[in-house]
Amino acid sequence: MEVVKKYSEPELVQLLRERGESAFGYLYDNYSGALLSIILNIVNEEELANDVLQDVFVKIWKQIDSYDSSKGRLFTWMLNIARNASIDTVRSKSFQNSRQNRELTEDVYAAGGTSETRTDQIGLRKMVHSLKEEYRVLVELSYFQGFTQDEIANMLKIPLGTVKTRLRAALTQLREIIKP
Amino acid sequence: MDIKVYIESGVIESYVLGMADAQEAAELEQLSRQHPAIRKAIDEFEAALEQQALATAVMPAPRVKEQLLAELAFEKKSKKSVVIGWSRYLAAASVILLVVSASLNVYFYKQFSSAHTAYQALLVEKTSLLSENQQTQTKLLDLHSNMQMMSDPSMIKVSMPGVAGKENSLATVFWDSKSKDVYLLPNKLPEAAAGKQYQLWAIVDGKPVDAGVIEACAGLCKMKNIPTASMFAITLENKGGSTAPTLDQMYVAGKVG
Repeated sequence: MEVVKKYSEPELVQLLRERGESAFGYLYDNYSGALLSIILNIVNEEELANDVLQDVFVKIWKQIDSYDSSKGRLFTWMLNIARNASIDTVRSKSFQNSRQNRELTEDVYAAGGTSETRTDQIGLRKMVHSLKEEYRVLVELSYFQGFTQDEIANMLKIPLGTVKTRLRAALTQLREIIKP
Repeated sequence: MDIKVYIESGVIESYVLGMADAQEAAELEQLSRQHPAIRKAIDEFEAALEQQALATAVMPAPRVKEQLLAELAFEKKSKKSVVIGWSRYLAAASVILLVVSASLNVYFYKQFSSAHTAYQALLVEKTSLLSENQQTQTKLLDLHSNMQMMSDPSMIKVSMPGVAGKENSLATVFWDSKSKDVYLLPNKLPEAAAGKQYQLWAIVDGKPVDAGVIEACAGLCKMKNIPTASMFAITLENKGGSTAPTLDQMYVAGKVG
């Protein structure tokens, strides 16, 4: 999606804080697709991902006063809201239940063409796939599934120090891949 | 600390992606204020991440935007209720008038539209007035609390006149003798050149101690806590501050007591 530069970032933030509806429309038109891409990476299910996207924009609208521009870009702030909301959704009980049901029915239709294989082949997660295996696993667990480094060390039975160093190395490589 | 190694350590990516713990994040924020190279690396990664996300955007379902606009309009309902009441009355009236005369109907509708437009314009004006009013109130509250602080008997006032060659400069330190918090009032300091920033120093046992760089602030600026000092002084340093003062760039200085 092409971003049409209509407002500078400080202008946009100011207009959002003044509750400008056209500023909100602009924000939505330019960033909803980018945020949906990361939500799909985590939630894996199109309908639900769209619901999460809606919640994310309500949060952005309500919490815009807590955005601190000295700490980073508006998009980074929105991206973190989207990631946290997605992880919360995946961890919620109702999601876990519906997933179990769905897996049972999907077994019937055999493999190929399910939404799961598609949503990890887009956006950031696709790039993470090009990391080497021991790095990829760590980024998957920590970034897309939201596990802490302690939890990951326990799950994979490797020392916490190793998790830390590998994850840092993985992220440095990821930056090189993302670099335009 | 080796800045280059720090930048390459992955901590910046971890911070931007929201994966750093509170301690790492606080450390990075502190360092990014002192080292422009770190700030630049953060900015670059954020920009790359944004570009990458925009390039792989997925079109959301159209219902999302519709529902959002409906939900957010719902939040503003209380303000618009007057219009809704009127429009209902007008709608009823126009049905009757339609029977009587189609032309009158059109006339009333036009009247309504212009009233509605005027009302919308007033609403916008009211919102902007409200926000201006809020800003003024915040400023007033700040000034009031500054005044309370300055008049506190435990507050030591250290006047710092301009040094030789900078006689026109003046700044005042307010030093809380109980909490040891330091506040600065930059009464008269020339505007710092681009890339430069004023920095406050406390002189402790004849040695300068960093009391913080002076950011743009309304009224009193809160500086670092200084337990003991015999003198305060301000120098002009590179943005982000220095570890030792550049003495030929001293603007004001004043003894305590």
